[in-house]
Amino acid sequence: MDIETRHEGQCRVVSLRGSADISASASLRETLLGAIERGDTQIVCDLSQADFICSDALGVLITAYLKARGRGGFLHIAGPHAHLGEILETTRLNRLFRIYPDVQCALATQAE
Amino acid sequence: MRSGRVPAGTPQTDDLGAWTEKVLPTDLSAVRGTEREVLGVLRDLGYDEDHLFAVRLALEEALVNAMKHGNAFDPGRSVHLRYRASPEQVEIRVADEGGGFDPGIVPDPTADENLERPCGRGIMLMRCYMDEVTFSPEGNQVSMVKRRQP
Repeated sequence: MDIETRHEGQCRVVSLRGSADISASASLRETLLGAIERGDTQIVCDLSQADFICSDALGVLITAYLKARGRGGFLHIAGPHAHLGEILETTRLNRLFRIYPDVQCALATQAE
Repeated sequence: MRSGRVPAGTPQTDDLGAWTEKVLPTDLSAVRGTEREVLGVLRDLGYDEDHLFAVRLALEEALVNAMKHGNAFDPGRSVHLRYRASPEQVEIRVADEGGGFDPGIVPDPTADENLERPCGRGIMLMRCYMDEVTFSPEGNQVSMVKRRQP
């Protein structure tokens, strides 16, 4: 899995490309928690180019979400395709995360 | 077919085809290649992307559980995978060399009070994405079936 990050205003956009499987969890954890440690507590995780996510990677997203929230920030999800959206619904994590159709929608909501 | 880790009562031979058996190291780097192999078989049989996604997810969760919780990442222990596939269904069994567990005591990860827990979703995902999921009495083998529906 490739992970790209960039700043968009006050937000850190973390884009995942490929499979967020067990072999990718460590780098995902390092990226997200590292960003929060460095003060980037407003995070949009772009899943539009991710084709898979396992429970371990979901756990990383939850851990990062809690850490960001604990520092007054957030972690939102953007752009999950059908399979990933279904997982978020099945696990009811759509009740925990705010999920947007794409990054721009997530950023626009924050700018309001 | 070897039958050392097949639960009592499981048919040893039938018309669903031969079992493929693999002994995997307790090494998470072995998971992706194993998934690729199984999905390749299913793809050749004409399974669609929804089925492939479901099987990959369930297989990933089962293999990771076996290595992480079953074998406790002990490199001296192995994970035993067997699978067989037909155009109608795929059967997968994953066994570890740990002491087993009681799947009935795993908290419901979808309960409101558990939504913020970062772990504990693997079994639930297996059950949601496969048509049958059963555990051996010892709790160290999971058997899963995914049917290819029209």
